[in-house]
Amino acid sequence: MGWHGYLVLWCGVFGTLALVGYGRSLAGMTPAQRAVRVTGRIERVGEPRHGSSPREGIAVVVSFQDPSSGQEFTVTNDGERGERISAAWTGREIGVHYPRGRPHAFRFTSDLSEGGRGLGWPTFAVFLVYAGPVVVAAIDWGWPWALLGFCGPWALSGLYHLPGNVRDRNRRLDTLAAMAAVPGRVVAVLKSVSTDDDGYTSTHLVPVVTFTTLDGRAVTAYCESGLPDPAGSQGLDVTIHYACDDPAVFVLDVEAERRSWKRDMAVNVVGVLVVAAAAVVGVVAL
Amino acid sequence: MTITTGAVLPTHRTPVALARGFLTGGVVGTSLAALVVGGIVENVPLFVTGLVLPVVYGLLFFLAGMPRRAREAAVVPRTALAMIESLEAVGGESSDVPVRFELTVAPDDGSAYRVEFRQDINLVDLSDYRPRGVVVVQYPPDRPWRVRIVKRPTPEWEERAASARLDSAPGTARVAAPPEGCAFGFVVLLGLLLGAAAVVLLFRVDLFDRDDTAQPPPVARPSVSSTSSTTVVSSASGTVSLGPGQSFLDKGELDRAVGSLTRGGDTHQALTVVVQERLLSVVFSPTGTQPPGLDPRTLPYDRFPALVEEATATLGVRSPRTWQIIADRLTGSLVIRVVVTGPEGAASLEANGQGKVVRRAPAR
Repeated sequence: MGWHGYLVLWCGVFGTLALVGYGRSLAGMTPAQRAVRVTGRIERVGEPRHGSSPREGIAVVVSFQDPSSGQEFTVTNDGERGERISAAWTGREIGVHYPRGRPHAFRFTSDLSEGGRGLGWPTFAVFLVYAGPVVVAAIDWGWPWALLGFCGPWALSGLYHLPGNVRDRNRRLDTLAAMAAVPGRVVAVLKSVSTDDDGYTSTHLVPVVTFTTLDGRAVTAYCESGLPDPAGSQGLDVTIHYACDDPAVFVLDVEAERRSWKRDMAVNVVGVLVVAAAAVVGVVAL
Repeated sequence: MTITTGAVLPTHRTPVALARGFLTGGVVGTSLAALVVGGIVENVPLFVTGLVLPVVYGLLFFLAGMPRRAREAAVVPRTALAMIESLEAVGGESSDVPVRFELTVAPDDGSAYRVEFRQDINLVDLSDYRPRGVVVVQYPPDRPWRVRIVKRPTPEWEERAASARLDSAPGTARVAAPPEGCAFGFVVLLGLLLGAAAVVLLFRVDLFDRDDTAQPPPVARPSVSSTSSTTVVSSASGTVSLGPGQSFLDKGELDRAVGSLTRGGDTHQALTVVVQERLLSVVFSPTGTQPPGLDPRTLPYDRFPALVEEATATLGVRSPRTWQIIADRLTGSLVIRVVVTGPEGAASLEANGQGKVVRRAPAR
């Protein structure tokens, strides 16, 4: 079996997987579609201990109700429980999802909207089906086909999403401009130390800030950026700028954040241009 | 008192588990041997099999285990209070250190039992766990040895743990996972050895032939270099003929043959290079002249199989009997001509120095 035989096999296997995945999604059978999604409420927020691990998130007690049985559950974020909770206050609504009939296997999510359609893996399989012929074309007919095959669709996708990205950046800049400022305090610095196979030790520091919003919500949140010296920041008084509709969105330095978003927008545009230029080079070099 | 776990089968002693172990060992042995043997004898399908086989087996293994995992995941874990009998940090250089615990677990609706397990605990939180301290634990009811300390219990269990006083269970009331047994390890090893032996036996001929062909052929004088290929070189020409069952379209065969013809001397310019199924002929340019020669080492040999395939598939010779590739620069630029002959007559195509087809002459 030559290269082309392997290509047919590759495309056949991943094409079948993609079809199965899309079929399951159409039939509403994917785990994401079958999961029960409810809104939980944070009942209690634990005090973070200085020097402890940030891996499991801020300790919270959450209550939620299973819609099918009507049973009320009170749970905590102990162990592997989905997304890490990095901002919490009593009364905050938080997404909870679990397989149908198994509320004990709950996972937290910050996204309160309906779940996706479970199309991630099928789409990845489609990408692999597409990548196979492109790679074989690049081997058989030369590298320009790789540039055209990969950068062409990427550039088109980038161009398609660029207006949305720009709108999103502008919305975030507007949010920054409308933020409220309140005093806050760094109450603890969490530490995670890991050692890799070569014996190299890396330390990850996460300061924890607390602040009270103008409407009286006592927020505890991880603050992973904005402090110049995280290691020695325990007890530091800071000014917190937060979005009034969601205190989980906050910054310490509004100007730095604004510059960062503008830079991010420029990088986005330049990235799309570079990818499009690579695709054009591929076409010219054919 | 001894806790009985009669519902739970020792997972590694059932015939199915032993068969699965044998199969796993066989797949590991076969794929490793296929990778090594495929690499040595340059057999691409065998090498690819060595890569694909474990992936396919892993996928099947994953799919076969889905019902069991779904069954285990559907079991609601049981929460209970437990008392720490002893604990010992057993190493670790990160902030979470593995700790070996011995607990007395006191389920609400059953007898207390002892269990030993390991769990990672953050260094800062280690002081919360002391001998005789009461903690909240969770475990699947069908596997009571899989205990896990709940570091963040709910308020209700937190209060219960704060006010509880538990007695130690006797040492005889110990629960542990079923031992794996040496039979499982034995069948895995047996499968591994048999799988590897099967591949080596199947390809033993190629492996032994390989030892012979690996010897470099002498360049200076005509000689028989191996049992499967013959190299003859003089100052004017050189030929390499292959034994039965071999082809110059096999991967790397042409590079090796041309290398054996041009090794040891100055850069040989050639007038023509002719390749047939099992015969390579090179006519060298006469010394001291400047004819339009070509360097036989620079031809796109990796394109030759594709060119022959294209010529036999697209030029109207439905059942080709022979093929021949002729490369020369007699007209100035390098021309690679592929001629196929069959009952329908002869057909040819021409390619340039990069192996790109520039002209086709179908059979008439």
